[in-house]
Amino acid sequence: MDNTLLIALVVILITSGAVLIVRRNTDGLITSVTSRNGKKLNRDPTFIIAGPSSSGKTSLFSLLTTDEIKPTLMSQQPNIALDFLLPSATKNFKFKLIEFPGHPKLQHDLFQTLRDSIDIRGLIFLVDSTVDPKELTTTAELLYEVLKITERRQAGVDILIACNKSESFASRPPMKIKQALEKEIDSIMLRKKKSLANVSTQGDSHLDHETHALDIDPAGGFKFECLEGTVDALDGSVLKNKVVNWKSWIDLHAVN
Amino acid sequence: MIDQLAIFTVQGQLLCKYNALGKKFSEQQFNKFIHTLIAQSIATSNSKFPTLSVDSHTFMFHETKQPFLYYVVSYSSSESLELNQEAEQVLNIAIKLWDSLGLNDAIRKNQDHAKSKKNRHNYTWLLEGAEDKLLQFEQFFTVKYESLKVTSNVSRPPNSLAEKQQQQQPKKKAAAKKNQSSVKSRKWGANGMIDDDAMAESSALDFSPASMSNTASDLAAVDTEGFGTRTKTGEFLIKQIDDLLVQSKNDQMENQQKKSQGRAFDFLQKHWLGNKTITESDLSLILDKLKKQLIAKNVTPTVADYLAAQVSQNLVGSKTANWTSVENTARESLGTSLTNLLTPSVSVDLLHEIQRKAEDRDKDGNKNPYVFSIVGVNGVGKSTNLSKLAFWLLQNHLKVLIVACDTFRSGAVEQLRVHVENLAQLIDEDHVRGSKNERGKTGNDFIELFEAGYGGSDLVTKTAKKAIKYAREQAFDVVLMDTAGRRHNDATLMSPLKSFAEQAKPDKIIMVGEALVGTDSVQQARSFNQVFGKGTTLDFFIISKCDTVGDMLGTMVNMVYATGIPILFVGVGQTYTDLRTLSVPWAVETLLS
Repeated sequence: MDNTLLIALVVILITSGAVLIVRRNTDGLITSVTSRNGKKLNRDPTFIIAGPSSSGKTSLFSLLTTDEIKPTLMSQQPNIALDFLLPSATKNFKFKLIEFPGHPKLQHDLFQTLRDSIDIRGLIFLVDSTVDPKELTTTAELLYEVLKITERRQAGVDILIACNKSESFASRPPMKIKQALEKEIDSIMLRKKKSLANVSTQGDSHLDHETHALDIDPAGGFKFECLEGTVDALDGSVLKNKVVNWKSWIDLHAVN
Repeated sequence: MIDQLAIFTVQGQLLCKYNALGKKFSEQQFNKFIHTLIAQSIATSNSKFPTLSVDSHTFMFHETKQPFLYYVVSYSSSESLELNQEAEQVLNIAIKLWDSLGLNDAIRKNQDHAKSKKNRHNYTWLLEGAEDKLLQFEQFFTVKYESLKVTSNVSRPPNSLAEKQQQQQPKKKAAAKKNQSSVKSRKWGANGMIDDDAMAESSALDFSPASMSNTASDLAAVDTEGFGTRTKTGEFLIKQIDDLLVQSKNDQMENQQKKSQGRAFDFLQKHWLGNKTITESDLSLILDKLKKQLIAKNVTPTVADYLAAQVSQNLVGSKTANWTSVENTARESLGTSLTNLLTPSVSVDLLHEIQRKAEDRDKDGNKNPYVFSIVGVNGVGKSTNLSKLAFWLLQNHLKVLIVACDTFRSGAVEQLRVHVENLAQLIDEDHVRGSKNERGKTGNDFIELFEAGYGGSDLVTKTAKKAIKYAREQAFDVVLMDTAGRRHNDATLMSPLKSFAEQAKPDKIIMVGEALVGTDSVQQARSFNQVFGKGTTLDFFIISKCDTVGDMLGTMVNMVYATGIPILFVGVGQTYTDLRTLSVPWAVETLLS
């Protein structure tokens, strides 16, 4: 009789301990950016900064987090600010701000995070506005890959095309860049349709959904309007600390 | 003399920059370096600090984990032992000084999200509260580096000062010369005409030669004085710095002793609970196991070692997540390393590039054909994959010219003819086998064979050039050149490839490698990559016969590791449709399963 009571007590103790620890885990205190098999999910409200190389992502991250412009080099790992607070935002709204490197070899990290994050409030896609619209192919390709993942969500993800370096005389207006990107994505979609199938599509079924093309019908050309998430284009300049537009965009998307 | 020193985080924050020439620090230079560093896989082993050459500069670097920092010294790349030594010294000083000033501790403290002091954005800048230390570092480093320069100058006694003077004199001289040449003294005669004789007198106005010697000696005097005072304060500082450097050594010893004390809780944490700080000894067994698994999947031991080293580099000192064993963490990290290795560093969109090339026409208004040349060892499936590629291009409504540049092996041309007939039939059902098209060649309007019989190696380049000219005239979109298979370790067979690449100037050189090959693949890829001479390398791999190896995809890893060149396509069967693009997640999963 005594024995069973003792065993029962021990069992209760162990289970309650386990429950406590599990709860601590899922609280989002310890979250990993790179989880390969999607077991660890990022449940925090998250804003993501992405874009091609040398568009000023790390500089923007520094500016947002420290209010200062810091010298930067090409990143090799993402920058993360946990429980980030934007003072102008609605009171005490804390979110996670992640900035990803633009090097093509490191982009898989961004895609993985996009897949594993549940609550993405917005994605800031930084573009160098001084780049000739004809040379935007790689930028458009990255945006296309991002859209392929974000558009699989119910409501998509809202994207801000942040046209950086507006201080330069060679910079182009945001509407122009948005149109150029639309055009490029359109031709990318056409090309993807023609390209060869992926090796994993034969046999393995669980990887299948990863390889699907962007699931919209580009009747009369691809337009950002036909996406689930909204796409805005605003100009600004990290170097000149002119990021008010972008900050208010973040504010707006932080709330809902 | 070194060029620049930079200390930066993997996240891209440039913490310290120093230009030895006193010029503006060039970020561009280091961005190029990082770009190459990411693109290539460099095994950090034999030499003390690894080096990497990009453009005209060599970069010697050192990376530390916890905090994750890069210390990089750049210097102009001329093979000089002295420069290497100097760079090594500089790097050593920078690393030790950085650590002994407590900058590493400061960064570690600021990275700890729970404990660090936060600003109004709830964020801690890496060097928060360590700004003065950073300044101190910059000051100390400058002084120490200058003293290093002085000692190296003294070691060559006869010209230490003279050199300084010489360096300054040319500048002066140049300035003087400029004066002489650009400003002609002009004298006007009484009649208002320029007096030509005055030219001879120009020296009368030029006081520079007389003062030259004066200024030079003055400069020397000032210089030595400056040297004296600087070394006075410098020496004082250097003593302080040296003390710091010695101290850091002692600290390290203590740390090591502390680490060796084990904890009873370790076992549970290691296998079940997680949240354990990983040490070298935890990993060694697991890494051995993972290495064996990789080798069983046809990965070369050197590559497996490299990947294991990456994992231990990434993990030692870090903490496992809760409820995660060390083994799972290591496996995950290995997956990341593999993904990094296999992901191409340039995005390749062949159709786009073909389109672009066709857009810029030559002077006669003909469009430029896009030229592929396909190389590889004997019997890996060059012709087979070439025809698969042709089939895909044909499906995209491109006109394809297949060129038989294998003028050596008997039956090579005939083999291609069969492929062309097959493809022509697939595209156009009415095509009659063996018939000629309107230009009198094998094939039809969409695909055609260009052949020139059999012969020596000069015939190969001749055929290639002729074929490209022909393709341009007949408005072909793509030219596919088949080459003879050759053994990669035979110089007489390999060397013709160089002249071939120079003459034919293919847009893309594709190497076909078979998935069956195993350890030799590293050497094959390397040899083929180097054979084309300066500036020309392979552009992609096609890995053939993947259907025959099942999950043993090691060859892919080997070839990419050896060259840093991406895999474009994977051959998975015998028919024309059995060509696929590589999916990196799939490959990684297969390798780790």
